Amino acid sequence: MASSDPEKLMSKADKLTKLTLTRWSADWRSAAGLYEQAANAFRLAKEYEKAKLAFEKASKAQEMLSSPWDAAKHMESAGAVAKELGNWNEVADFYRRASNLYIECGRSQPASDALAKGARALEETVPDEAVQLYTEACSILEEDGKEQMAFDLYRAAATIYIKLEKYPDAATILLRLGLAADNCKAVNSQCKAYLGAIIVYLYAQDFKQAEKCYNDCSQIDAFLRSDQNRFASKLLSAYTEGDIEEIKRLVQSSTVSNLDHMIIRLARKLPTGDLSALKAYSGKEQEEPLDEDDLT
Amino acid sequence: MSVIDILTRVDAICKKYDKYDIDKQNDSNVSGDDAFARLYGVVEADIEATLQKAEQASKEKNRASAVALNAEIRRTKAKLLEEVPKLQRLAFKKVKGLSSEEFVARNDLVQALPDRIQAIPDGSATAPKASGGWGASASRAEIRFDSDGRFDDEYFQQTEESNKFRQEFEMQKMKQDQGLDMIAEGLDTLKNMAHDMNEELDRQVPLVDEIDTKVDKAASDLKNTNVRLKKTVTQLRSSRNFCIDIILLCIILGIAAYLYK
Repeated sequence: MASSDPEKLMSKADKLTKLTLTRWSADWRSAAGLYEQAANAFRLAKEYEKAKLAFEKASKAQEMLSSPWDAAKHMESAGAVAKELGNWNEVADFYRRASNLYIECGRSQPASDALAKGARALEETVPDEAVQLYTEACSILEEDGKEQMAFDLYRAAATIYIKLEKYPDAATILLRLGLAADNCKAVNSQCKAYLGAIIVYLYAQDFKQAEKCYNDCSQIDAFLRSDQNRFASKLLSAYTEGDIEEIKRLVQSSTVSNLDHMIIRLARKLPTGDLSALKAYSGKEQEEPLDEDDLT
Repeated sequence: MSVIDILTRVDAICKKYDKYDIDKQNDSNVSGDDAFARLYGVVEADIEATLQKAEQASKEKNRASAVALNAEIRRTKAKLLEEVPKLQRLAFKKVKGLSSEEFVARNDLVQALPDRIQAIPDGSATAPKASGGWGASASRAEIRFDSDGRFDDEYFQQTEESNKFRQEFEMQKMKQDQGLDMIAEGLDTLKNMAHDMNEELDRQVPLVDEIDTKVDKAASDLKNTNVRLKKTVTQLRSSRNFCIDIILLCIILGIAAYLYK
């Protein structure tokens, strides 16, 4: 049939959709089919710009036909093609639109999948945008009560943050992961998330935060009873004593090896920075009350 | 004559001439109707056997077999001690043909028996009266202290042997600790994997449920469609229409053939 020139297909489809004197209503159905064929042909011919355009038009046609599912699928393909082209903001845009269309269908899982795909495409180049997409995907799943699926997304987002060296953000995401795990009673993932957060804080040399985090997490029953809790308390006490050897020994243990590998890498590089500074800090905290007593 | 007949005849002859068998007469003479003498003989024989066993046990090198033998000896002693009261009762019975001196002698023998039985060494002999302070523990005859209370300087000195033994013990303990550490690590990994598998399966459960419902729906749709299709096809295939179709087809073919001929 019309497996010939995609250009011809495109022009034919365009003619079908343009409203002129002879044509009072656009024939979206056949136009959609033609657009799709043209787009595939362009993709095979590696003419990405035109393929992208064709996919976009196909998606619009499907929208007019009120089938958001197909529209979303075409949008995703358009996004993939845009990735080949390297138009990063277009990539994000396409994937977002695809996700919205999926939500229109009422299917949250594919929506978050679309965003995740977009995020993965953008990981290398525009990591901030990628993180945004990941968090949006996670919130979609959480709204729908499917937090189980969000674990991987959270972990990927945390990895990106760690790569960007934005440690507080990474720790925050890990805590959110812990919260999601709590909602679905995934105790093991929860404890691992909390331990990961503590390690990230320690790596960022934010001892106070790490302690605060540890105290917060200890209030959670499941964490309190876990191996990871014991490991965290041992680690923190080794830190307060400034015992480098002990810390090095602790991070070789198997509890750490069960965590995410980015976090393992951080842990093996502990202890960072100046332990004596930490000791001085914790020492200073104890001296201050004495000073106040002296004044009075 | 068959073998069985020979045997029976031999038995009968032996019984008839038993009274001429001197050895047997001697034996039965000794213990004839006398229950006491019989029982006494048995007890004597047992005591002899036990004494022999005790000798063997004391010569025994292997500690395990020595212990086993001693245990046997103790059991036999206990049994013999039980027999003694019976013997005493029998001793008091008057038996015909027994002189009064023998009667008294019998009583003495019976009295002497318990002491003889106790005196058989069974490896648990303490020096009961000698160790004064531990008199109370004499009742637990199996536990004994070799030194009998002499705790002088030499006693607590570590000999070479005990040093070596202690070293070996420490080394073995270390090796065991290492092995246990490795096992612990492996178990840790296993535990982690098991937990993760658990969570993964929990994740899959609602998905599988969804698949289940969708497949059920699809299956019922298919069934419906099949039924309808069957109805339609049977309607189409009804014989009358079919025959009419065939006839008309033949007519057309006939006309075409005629036209082309």
